[in-house]
Amino acid sequence: MSDAQASGAVSGEAAEAALAYLTEMSPDLRGAAILDSEGAVLAPADSSGHWAEGAATLFEAADRADGEAVEQVHIGTEQGEVFALRHAGLAAIAVTERFALASLTLFDLRALLRELAGETPLRTFTGPEDGKSPTRPADGEG
Amino acid sequence: MAPKPHRVLLDRVSGYADEAAAYMRRRRASRRPFARLYYPGGRAEDHATDSAVGGELFVAAGRLIEVAGKRPKS
Repeated sequence: MSDAQASGAVSGEAAEAALAYLTEMSPDLRGAAILDSEGAVLAPADSSGHWAEGAATLFEAADRADGEAVEQVHIGTEQGEVFALRHAGLAAIAVTERFALASLTLFDLRALLRELAGETPLRTFTGPEDGKSPTRPADGEG
Repeated sequence: MAPKPHRVLLDRVSGYADEAAAYMRRRRASRRPFARLYYPGGRAEDHATDSAVGGELFVAAGRLIEVAGKRPKS
C-alpha cells in the first residue's frame, strides 16, 4: 500500500462520479462509500454520517487486531460481504451480495482510489452527461 | 444412428451447467463467515468469529451492511 497522500484534495463531485461508475459496473454491489484521510465521507453525499461511523468502527477494530494499520479488509457474513481498502490517504468501503468475486471487487476499489488520488490523471472519471451513465474517457483523452 | 449434432452440443452445455450449479451449491453450503485482514507487504490474517477481534469486525461489518441496505431489484 502506498502511504502517500492523494496529490490534491479530492472533490466530492469526482468521488460521486467514481462511485456512480463503480455502481454501474458492479452488479453485486449493494452500496459503497469513499472517505478521505480524516474519515469524512466524500461520497455518497446522502447518508454520509452512517457510512463515516461504520467505516471508522471497522478500521478501528481492524487496526487494533494486530497493532498495525490494515490495507484491506474482507469480511464475509450470511447477510453480505464487506470490503474496505485504503490507498493514498483515501479509503473505500463496499458492501456486496454474498459470494461476490473478492479479487475483482478489491481490484475495482483500488483502481477507483488510484484514479481519485491522481496517480492516473488521464483516466479520471467524468460526471454523467445528459442524464446518462457516468463514463470514463478513453486513454489519451482529456 | 448417430445423434444429431445440436443434441450433442445441448447435452454438453447442460452437463457444464449442472456441474456449475452443483459447485455453487457446495460452495454456499460449505462457506462460513470469515474476517480476513490484509497488511502492507501481502501478509494476511484470518480472525475467527468467536475471537474478540473477530467479534468486533463482524459487528462493524453488520452495521455497514445495514447502512448499505438491500440492493433494489431491477
